[in-house]
Parts: sequence; C-alpha cells; structure tokens
Amino acid sequence: MRSLSRTAAARAVFAITASAVLSACGGDGGTRARPVPNVAFCQDVLPRVDAWVAQAREANPTPDDPRFGGTAVVGTIGEMADGMNAAVSSDYSATQHQQFVNLMTLVDYDVDANPRPYLAESWEVAEDNTSVTFHIRQDVYWHDGEQTDAHDVAFTYRVVTNPETAFPNAAFWNHYVQGDEGVEVLDDFTVRVLMEPHAEFLDPFRTVAILPEHLLGDVPPAELKQHPFGTQCPVGNGPFVFWSHSPQERWVFEANPAFPEALGGRPFLDRYVYRIIPEQTTLLAELLTQNIDVYISPAPDQAQRIVDDPEVELLRYPFRNYVLVGWNARRPQLSDARVRRAITMGTDRESIVQAILQGYGTVANGSVPPFHWAYDSDAPGLGYDPDGARALLEEAGWVDRDGDGIRENASGEPLSISIKYNTGNQQRQDIAEIMQAQLSEVGIEVTPQVVEWATLLQQINTPEVRDFDGVVMGWVVEFKLDDTDLFHSERIDEPFAWSGTRNADMDRLLVQLGRTVDREEARALWAEYQEVLIEEQPYTFFYFPERLDGVSTRLMGVQMDARGEWLNVKDWYLDPASR
Amino acid sequence: MAKYVLRRLVGAIPLVLGIATIIFFLINLAPGSPIDLIVGPGVTREFREQMIRNFGLDQPLHIQYVKWLGAMFTGDFGYSFSQTRPVRDVLLGFLPNTVTLSLAALFVAFLFGVVLGTVQAVRQYSALDSGLSVALLFFYSMPSFWLALMLVLVMSLMLGWFPVSGTVSTDYEFLSFTGRVVDRVRHLALPTLSLALVLTAGIARYMRGSMLEVVRQDYVRTAHAKGLPERVVVFKHALRNALIPIVTLVGLYLPFLFSGTVFIETIFAWPGMGRAIVGAIFQRDYPLVMAGSFFFATMVVLANLVADILYAVVDPRIRYE
Repeated sequence: MRSLSRTAAARAVFAITASAVLSACGGDGGTRARPVPNVAFCQDVLPRVDAWVAQAREANPTPDDPRFGGTAVVGTIGEMADGMNAAVSSDYSATQHQQFVNLMTLVDYDVDANPRPYLAESWEVAEDNTSVTFHIRQDVYWHDGEQTDAHDVAFTYRVVTNPETAFPNAAFWNHYVQGDEGVEVLDDFTVRVLMEPHAEFLDPFRTVAILPEHLLGDVPPAELKQHPFGTQCPVGNGPFVFWSHSPQERWVFEANPAFPEALGGRPFLDRYVYRIIPEQTTLLAELLTQNIDVYISPAPDQAQRIVDDPEVELLRYPFRNYVLVGWNARRPQLSDARVRRAITMGTDRESIVQAILQGYGTVANGSVPPFHWAYDSDAPGLGYDPDGARALLEEAGWVDRDGDGIRENASGEPLSISIKYNTGNQQRQDIAEIMQAQLSEVGIEVTPQVVEWATLLQQINTPEVRDFDGVVMGWVVEFKLDDTDLFHSERIDEPFAWSGTRNADMDRLLVQLGRTVDREEARALWAEYQEVLIEEQPYTFFYFPERLDGVSTRLMGVQMDARGEWLNVKDWYLDPASR
Repeated sequence: MAKYVLRRLVGAIPLVLGIATIIFFLINLAPGSPIDLIVGPGVTREFREQMIRNFGLDQPLHIQYVKWLGAMFTGDFGYSFSQTRPVRDVLLGFLPNTVTLSLAALFVAFLFGVVLGTVQAVRQYSALDSGLSVALLFFYSMPSFWLALMLVLVMSLMLGWFPVSGTVSTDYEFLSFTGRVVDRVRHLALPTLSLALVLTAGIARYMRGSMLEVVRQDYVRTAHAKGLPERVVVFKHALRNALIPIVTLVGLYLPFLFSGTVFIETIFAWPGMGRAIVGAIFQRDYPLVMAGSFFFATMVVLANLVADILYAVVDPRIRYE
C-alpha cells in the first residue's frame, strides 16, 4: 500500500512541476523572445516591429546619462479593455496609453489646458471657425517603420465619425462635418477638417489618438472592435513600443529609440509595465514592498499609510470626476424643484466629504470640476440648512399630517423616496445611508437600495423604464464640458437624461455654451448656468474627489494632474542610486 | 471499465447541454446589457443600434441560441465582448494558470490532510490530536480571502519571503531557466497555501474519522495481534482502506478549485478562469459567460467520473462492469 501512495504523490508532484516548467518554457532561457500571439496579423506585423526597433536602436544610441534605463511598474485595478484601439475604446487607462504611451494625438494640453503641438507641429483655424488645418510632423514613424502622415489622420477621422464603427464618444463630433466630406488631405503632411464654430473644438484631437492607415485601412469599420490591433499587437508611433500583453495580468512597453528629439527624444525608461491587480489591499502591499512604482488611485482610507511611509509619496490633485445623486423628476414626489432643493439643503455634504473621503475632496455645487478653467470656487451653492429645507417643504405643500415624522402632501401620499446605488461601492452606499439618517430629520423618508451595476444602468438609462427615484452615480468629464445630454429638454427621452427636468434657461445656456469659442465669454455663461443648476437641482451634486496616486520615491520626474497619470511618462526616470 | 467510462461520458452530454441552455437563457434574460456598460452620453440611438448589430445582439433570442449551439459544436465559442478576443483564446489563455494553481492546492491539501488526519487517528485523544483539531478548526472556519490577506501581511509585507501577487516577476524574461522555475514557484506559494489550508482542515477531519473506523476493523486487530509493528499496520493495512472515502473528495474539490477561486485570484492578481468568468458576468459578456459555464459544467462531470474511477483504483473490490 505504501507504494501506491508514494506513486500517487510522485505523480502529483510531477504534474505540478511539469506545468510550472512548461509555463517557464515560454522563451529560450535567459534571452528574451517576444511572445507573438497566434494570429496572422500579429505574426506578420510584430517581426517588422522588432526589426525596426533593432535598426532604430543602432541608429539612435542611448545618450550617456545615468537617468536612462530600468523598468518602472504601474499597478492599477483594471484592464485596459479595448487596448490601443482608439477607434472603439472609452476606458480611461486605455485612452491615457493611446495619448501618452503607445500612440500620439494631434495636440496635447499644457498645464492650463491650452492646446500645444504634438503630432501636429502647427495648425490654423479658419477666420470664421469653420475648419482647422493641421500640419503633421515629418519625423514620426509607426513602430513598423512606415511614416506617419496626413493620410493616417484622415483615415482616423473617417473611422471615428463613421457610425458603423460605433465610436463610444460620438458626441465629440457633434459640431464637426462627419465622414468623408469632413476631411481633406491637402498634401502628405497637411490635413483639414471641417466644422461649425463650437466651444473647445480641439479637445477631441487631444483625446483621440491617430491610427495607422496602412495596417487598419482595409478593416471594415464594424469589425474594428474585434481586430487584434487593439489588445494583441498594437503598432503605435508614440514614445513607447508595444512589447507584450497578458490579459488581466500585464502590458509591457519598451522605449522607442527613434522618438523625435524635438518632442523629448527617447524616454528615460527602458521598459514600462502596466500591471493589473484587482484588489486594492494587494496594490498597497505591492507599493509598500517596492514591487510597483506607482499605485493608481488608492482608496482615501489607504492614503495615510502611503503618507506615513518614507519610501513612497502621495500625490493629490483635483480631477475630472464628480459624484452626485440624480433625481428622477418624473416622479410626483420629486417633480417640484423646491423638494429637490430641500433635499440638498437637508444633507450635510461637507461632513460627508470629510467622513467618506477623509478630506480628499471638495463639496460640489455644479458640474464644473475644480481642475477646469471655468471652475469658480466661490460659485454659489446650497449650504446645509435643515430649517430652510423644512420651510421649503412646507411651502411646497409637504406637511406631516399624521404625526409619524414623515411629511405628506394634500392627498396624503408620504414623501418617501428610494436611493439606488451599485453593489460593492462603499462610498456610494455611505452616501445613501447618511442621507437616509439626515433627511429623516426634515421629514423625508429615504430607503437605500443596492442594485447590481449592469442592472442599475439598465434601470436608469432605459427611457421606457427609469425605475428609480434617486440614484448615486459618478461622472468623469473631458476638458470640453457639455451637459446637453444630461439636462437639455430636447434629450429628455435619451438614455442619460436621468432627471428629465425642463427649463428654458437651461436649454438656452447649454446651446450657447456649446457654441462659444472664446473662454472668457464662456466663463460668464458658466456662472449663469451655475445659478440655473442651483435653482433646478436636477442632481444633488455631492463632491469632487481629489485624485490620489501613490508613487515610489525611487521614480523621479513624475508629473500628474487632471490631464492624467501618464501625461509625462516619457520623462519618468529611476533614481540612478536605486538601481 | 472502458465501456463504463464511455457510458458515463455519453450520459453526460444531455446534462452539460441542459446546463449550457439554462445558463444561456438566464444570462440573456438578466437585466442590463453589455451596451449600457460601454456607451456614454452623446451616443445617438443609431450608434447604439449599430453597436448592438456589431455584437450580433439584434437577432431574436431563439435565433441567437440556435446559432450559438451550432457554433459551439464546431468548437467556435464566439467573440468575447469585454476582452476583444475569441472566447476560445481567452479561456485557453487563463486555463494554464487555473490548472497550475488548482493542482498545486489540491496536492498540498491532500498531502497535509491525509498525513495530519492519520496522525490524529493514530494518536486519538492525545494532546497532539486535540492540538491539531483546534489548529485545523481555526483554518477551517477562516474565509480563504481573509487567510490570503493575512498570509500577504505576514509572509510578504513583514517577512518578505514571498512576492505579494502576480504569476511572475517583472524581470521574468531576463531570468535563466532555473530562475524562471523558482520565480514561478515562489509566486505560486501564497495563493496555493491560502486555498490549501482551508481544504486541508476538511480533509484531515474526514481522514481522521475514516481512519478511526478502519483501525477498529478485525483485520487491523489481527495485524496487531500477529505482532506487526505499528508503522506497518497503519500504513500497509489501514491507510489504503481509509483512503476510499477521501477519494470522493477529489471529485468534490476539483471543480470547486477550478471555479471557486475568484477571491484568491483577485487578491493575488492571478489571471485565472474564476476571475474571467465573474468579470464576464458583471460585464454581460454573454459569449464568455456561456463558454465558461459550459467548461465548468464539463469539469464537474469529468471530476465526478475521475472520482468514481479512482474508487476502483483504491479499492479492488469495486468493479465497473
């Protein structure tokens, strides 16, 4: 019998070591072989990339500077869903990598969000603001050796404005002439796009990276989403060359030796790794043990650990998102703006920000976040005022008629609302529960209700359903702000018109804001818009969280702000003393 | 035996198909759609409809079902919405990670479980027995994700013995062959322990009970009576018979390990099947959910079959004819 257990054990040991060894056989020991996905496109294109990189390395020897070299690792909670495929992705990290890591955009922003040249070395805007002409740099190459030119720009423009592609941020092109008629190649490095005058019209060209026509030109737009370019073998033209991607695990990029000198030249890092670690506790542990150099967006309650550790530091800055409770004004209890204002006044948002965000954030009174040029920190808002709330409710006809502590209207219906939030989001749960406690003080009964994310989206976004009273949600905005889809009465039957309020002033301002090109002129309009938002309260705006990032002190030159974590990744370098 | 295996396999087909069908309709009838998760404000109805067409969700459900079933028979599981790759590639990509972790955990759990259970039975009511019982109960009542976090805290953060998470180090490609094997094993250690410790406790309890029953049998008394040393009695005469009920546990635990490791995979950033499927459910990635559950259903059926065959291996009295 002894022999049996021994052989069984031996077999199991063998099976385990065998599988470990088999997976270790991925390359020929010691040398680095790039994993090539078993897809014709990749097998065709990656060897060309390797050849080009080898040649570029020879032609551009690394400068003699101790800052060059090494690997930096960024740890984050989520995968980049559509990878480098700029035509179909809406994911934040993916867009960042398209803009700053693997691909290039025509323009980028300086610290004040003023456009500056990037892939386009200059541009002219027509006198009447009906077209932009971009002059493309002549020293940028796709990582397989083809030159990037105006045809790539025109191709990208046609693809993202083609409805068949189903580009997720279609609103970018609302005021542009879409499709083939909208873009004209004047010569190999000059391209013109046509538009009607509108606000912040360069913003889409900061966000949407240019794609290679020679590789994707023949792909039917409807099939672009499934093309291996996105996640299996992207070929960019940016400061970092794609090396490998293990889904749900990591992306590896390498320095582009031939990145134009005028744009900063070769990045300092040899390799840059994006690791997916789905658990925040693990991310913190990895940062504290120096296995990752950047922890993207730690939870506010982890911030103190990072502050206390001398080997890592906490970056904090205003960001592009805000958290809100959206009110469904189609419901009889919530149709009166006075009730919605009373709810906001009955909620002590300041103390909630302190409690939930540990102070890493500010109370929101509108939809313009603090990073934005149109933000006014002195903008009026509704402060915490329970007495004012009670008075407003009385005025609106909601009085506690039966002495149960809950107000009723004339026909005896109680002022009772539910607030929905999504599963697994502690901050939103806290908001709903604190509101329940605080609003009972002014005679409003609140029932928090948790719903799974996809189900919740269906309940609030389907115009025929709208099965909610209040909902805790968040928005991430672009530099070009546009609330038309949220609040314009013409969009009331579109998915994102949660509140369904109608306000003629709001409509007028939203249209004007969309058309105003000059920022100073727009500022006055934003202030006026703020007044209307306060009056109407389609949302109880809650807070603008600060963005937090944990960064190892050995990683230097890191700059992060509302433009994103990766905005100067090509200038990051490892402290030479730490290597 | 071969006939028996064949009969079992044929019998499993309707079962697996039934499960797949139920899953297909359940996930498709669940509220929410993959489209809602992707589109933001500013997307017109035409765009939404185009996206629905691009995903092939514009057809009636029964047509989708027939198409899916037909495709599945040819080994085509469709295209994952959330991972933008063919579902087959997605699953094949995660499978090696899951198999490695499951087998390692199963092996460690059974090794420790059988050994500890035997020790406890042989030394029944001793201080060692009680001590082990308490220790095992401690691990048994512990949620494995909590145990995992504690292991990370102690073994990685405080002692620095093992890496916190991942399957390989960042510099893996630069390591020698031996270096790579060592690197993989080091990364495997903590997730394996987190899974195995909880299972070990259960297996040891079963083993103890089973062993106690066997050592009271006449043939064990006979072995003792004819003066065989304790070691021989325990290992040669008792152990094999005591192992029979334990073998059933392989059939129970294997599918559990393949599917039920989501927490562990999440904490250790281990890109495995459990995480892929749970992620797919939340993202309404219908093709991936269906292929994944089809795979798990098949695993359960196969694992049970394996357990039944193992019976025959362990106990020659059992014959499948």
